[in-house]
Amino acid sequence: MTRYIIQRLLLLPFLMLVYSFVIFAIIHAPPGDFLTSYVATLSATGTSISMDQINALRHEYGLDQPFIVQYLYWLRDLLHGNFGLSLEYQRPNADLIKEQLGLTMALAMMAFVLTWLIAVPAGIYSATHQRSVIDHMLTVINYVGVATPNFMLALILMWIAFAYFGLSITGLFSSEFVDAPWTMARLVNLLEHIWLPAVVLAIAGTARLARIMRANLLDELNKPYVVTARAKGMREWRLVWRYPVRLALNPLVSTIGWYLPQLFSGSLIVATVMNLPNIGPLLLRALINQDMYLAGGILLIYSFLTIVGTLLSDIALVMMDPRIRMET
Amino acid sequence: MLTRLATALSACWLLTLMQLAPAAAQTTKYHEAPALAEQVKAGKLPPVEQRLPEQPLVVPVVERIGEYGGLWRRAFLGPADANNYVRVVYDGLFRFSPNGAEIEPKIALGAKSSPDFKTWTILLRKGARWSDGAPFTADDIIFWYKDVLLNKDLTPAVPSWIRNADGTAAKVEKIDETTVQFTYDRPATLFLSEVANQDGPDQSYAMFLPAHYLKQFHPAYTPLDQVNRLAQAASFKSWNQLFAAKAAPTSNPERPTMAAWMPVTRVSDPVFTLRRNPYYIGVDTAGNQLPYIDEVRFTYFADQQALNLAAIAGDFDMQARHIQMTNYPVLKDHEKDGKYRVLIWPTFGGSDAVVAFNLTYTADPVLGKLLATKEFRVALSYAINRDEIKESAFLGLGEARQAVPAPWHPYFPGKEWAAKYTEFKPDEANKMLDALGLAKRDAQGVRLMENGKPLSIEINVVPAFGAWPDVGQLVARDWQAVGVKAVVQIRERALAFNMRAANELQTEVWNEDTTAFPFTGGSKLDARNPPGQTLTLGPLYYKWLTSDGKEGVEPIEPIKRIMQLIDTARTVGRDGQVRAAQELFRIWADNVFEIGTVGLTPMVQGVVVVNTKMHNVPTTIGNDWPLRTPGNARTEQFFFTK
Repeated sequence: MTRYIIQRLLLLPFLMLVYSFVIFAIIHAPPGDFLTSYVATLSATGTSISMDQINALRHEYGLDQPFIVQYLYWLRDLLHGNFGLSLEYQRPNADLIKEQLGLTMALAMMAFVLTWLIAVPAGIYSATHQRSVIDHMLTVINYVGVATPNFMLALILMWIAFAYFGLSITGLFSSEFVDAPWTMARLVNLLEHIWLPAVVLAIAGTARLARIMRANLLDELNKPYVVTARAKGMREWRLVWRYPVRLALNPLVSTIGWYLPQLFSGSLIVATVMNLPNIGPLLLRALINQDMYLAGGILLIYSFLTIVGTLLSDIALVMMDPRIRMET
Repeated sequence: MLTRLATALSACWLLTLMQLAPAAAQTTKYHEAPALAEQVKAGKLPPVEQRLPEQPLVVPVVERIGEYGGLWRRAFLGPADANNYVRVVYDGLFRFSPNGAEIEPKIALGAKSSPDFKTWTILLRKGARWSDGAPFTADDIIFWYKDVLLNKDLTPAVPSWIRNADGTAAKVEKIDETTVQFTYDRPATLFLSEVANQDGPDQSYAMFLPAHYLKQFHPAYTPLDQVNRLAQAASFKSWNQLFAAKAAPTSNPERPTMAAWMPVTRVSDPVFTLRRNPYYIGVDTAGNQLPYIDEVRFTYFADQQALNLAAIAGDFDMQARHIQMTNYPVLKDHEKDGKYRVLIWPTFGGSDAVVAFNLTYTADPVLGKLLATKEFRVALSYAINRDEIKESAFLGLGEARQAVPAPWHPYFPGKEWAAKYTEFKPDEANKMLDALGLAKRDAQGVRLMENGKPLSIEINVVPAFGAWPDVGQLVARDWQAVGVKAVVQIRERALAFNMRAANELQTEVWNEDTTAFPFTGGSKLDARNPPGQTLTLGPLYYKWLTSDGKEGVEPIEPIKRIMQLIDTARTVGRDGQVRAAQELFRIWADNVFEIGTVGLTPMVQGVVVVNTKMHNVPTTIGNDWPLRTPGNARTEQFFFTK
């Protein structure tokens, strides 16, 4: 096991190098560069900027260098632990990411906990009460949840909140609290706002998870060991919780590591639609504006967390299920 | 109105442009905001008389003398939206008047020119102070000139407005503490229009900088290795990047400013906040120091749609920027909620959707020849049903017109030119196209070109404004009806801009917003301006003009005449400029280099949401980027009633 982990960790730097190149190449692929996008943005708001000034900036930012040179400069900075300067914000990328990290993770954690709290019991109930009225209802709700893009749900809820209750639910704070220092009032304000995006984010995940839980559990419930236990007079809820549920959770646990990058990334479209101060919109903007060092930095951290998350999943699975052993 | 404007214009272009000290303001005591009065009492701030210059700027109010206090809520789209700030504060030595046709002193007291317009003298206000209380003097302009403009690291190319005929920088000298003299080797009749826009937009340097503060980041005053160390600590590669960041008010709240409000956070923060500048040089007609409003807050939105939803919900107190015209009916509908009123400020320019032609298209020479043929463009103009475009793409707002200035502007060439070729005459269009040798058609009814290929034109659309894709589709349909196949290509901006520069576009939907300023800035009417903004005219003309005729294509006569007119306008007085502009626009409309569809709509930042409690916001105003709208509405006199 230890050996396996070490092997995987040794592979990490090599993978990261490959990823860094792919990421940089993809960000570089669309035509134009940060300044082309900048000029385009300005001209849509009625501004004109002189070509001299643009060319000076292009030289200043090193955007007139060949692709490979730009990549090597970036790589050199990365090796020194320096994520570079955002072209748009003119501030260190590391600072920008750090600023958004807290709330991004808080929201993702909340959505995660909500997802599991709802999905696992719902899945168990559906499986143990198969074809009951509530099972059918949950099934319909789940299918709708899986089929509806969650940004759509966000838009609908926002419109309902505005049209019928006169609330505008954008952002995580009311405007007076956005840049206020942390106080009890600010925390309350956050809680007033955060539940809606958390619910929106949780719903799609819940639906998927509950369906998997239900299917897995149904497979287990008909197995001989369950029948035997029942025949021996074991109480039903204790039996279900103790054996089939644990087994049914396995496939879910194997994906738990995938949440790690999600905790970091923030939900891109929902966060953008609901105007949440989050890493998702930061990445989207960076990609649209071709602010390549910021986008590259975020994607690199994301890749890193994906690798680590998969590793953690594997480890968790070994710990949960004694049947799984490493072949060495 | 027009004559009054013209008189005012010629008056301001005479030798002097001075604001006389109002007797009333000097004799009465000045008043200040309660919060500042408290600070004065606590000894933290000098009294208002000492903070104001000897002759403060007296700002006329729109409705009435205002009340102090309040928070002006706005929204912005992130650091690339720093011009949002530029427009709100309009922090210039001079500024355009509300109607946009005059120039008035702001931070400066006035200006004089020599009779030949080669020498300009700017007078400053004695006793004016930066927001940190340090005196604002001629040295702050000289610092900009000597250490920023003439410094190759900070300004690699001298901008055209301060250039002599031979390409060198004009001379700038300090005469005394409050007098600066600009000397050109050519007549610079447009000097004040240019100065009114040297307020630091688009990451450029304003023409006056807080020397006392910025010297610590400049190697002429601080040892280079020390400055470099500071740059490195802030992750910058070189000192000039650090200097740029420190000199920009939007990225550095420590930098002293002359604006009515000073930033207290950065534009890269989730909320960009401005607070009242206790040393602001302006007072109202009753001697109250401005601004009335305490604070301006820009809340960050990642998405324009979310911003519009918040606007509909009444979350902003006064904003036109980023409000989409398509939301006008919804906003109007919610006016009854009582939170806001909706104003319409139509743009200054000519047309809100034109089809610009590439006159130098070479990828298909047969088609290229047609695009460059005036009769062909006229026929396609007649083929367009503009009333329908107005109704379905512009909500019935605006009017059908070519891309010439608005009727209330002195440059307006006359009604017949604005309406030229705008009638919907498909039969006439068919006849003209037949006469061009395009009479033969294929089985689908598409005309065949002289090489036997079907005539198909691509219309490039960048969806910068919601109306444009619709306009593209409607124009394409109208052209199909006269046998010209048209394909609408909606492209992402950066891609379209690259294709344009590579001469790959045939036609393009854009707007013509430079008609009020044909001689300054990056006007699209001048073929010598790079085709960075629109396709208008043709990329190869630009190449020819910038390579001394070695590459590209020589411009045709009317375009050369337009360039001549622009050169003339730069050396003659106001009357000559008006004449030159009117001739220019007659040529422009007659040649339909771009087919204007509908203009004078509020498409570009012209739908204004104003809190019902906010006052002194004008109901009509010249609206354009060079005017820094709403900056030209004199934002410092906006106020809230309780």
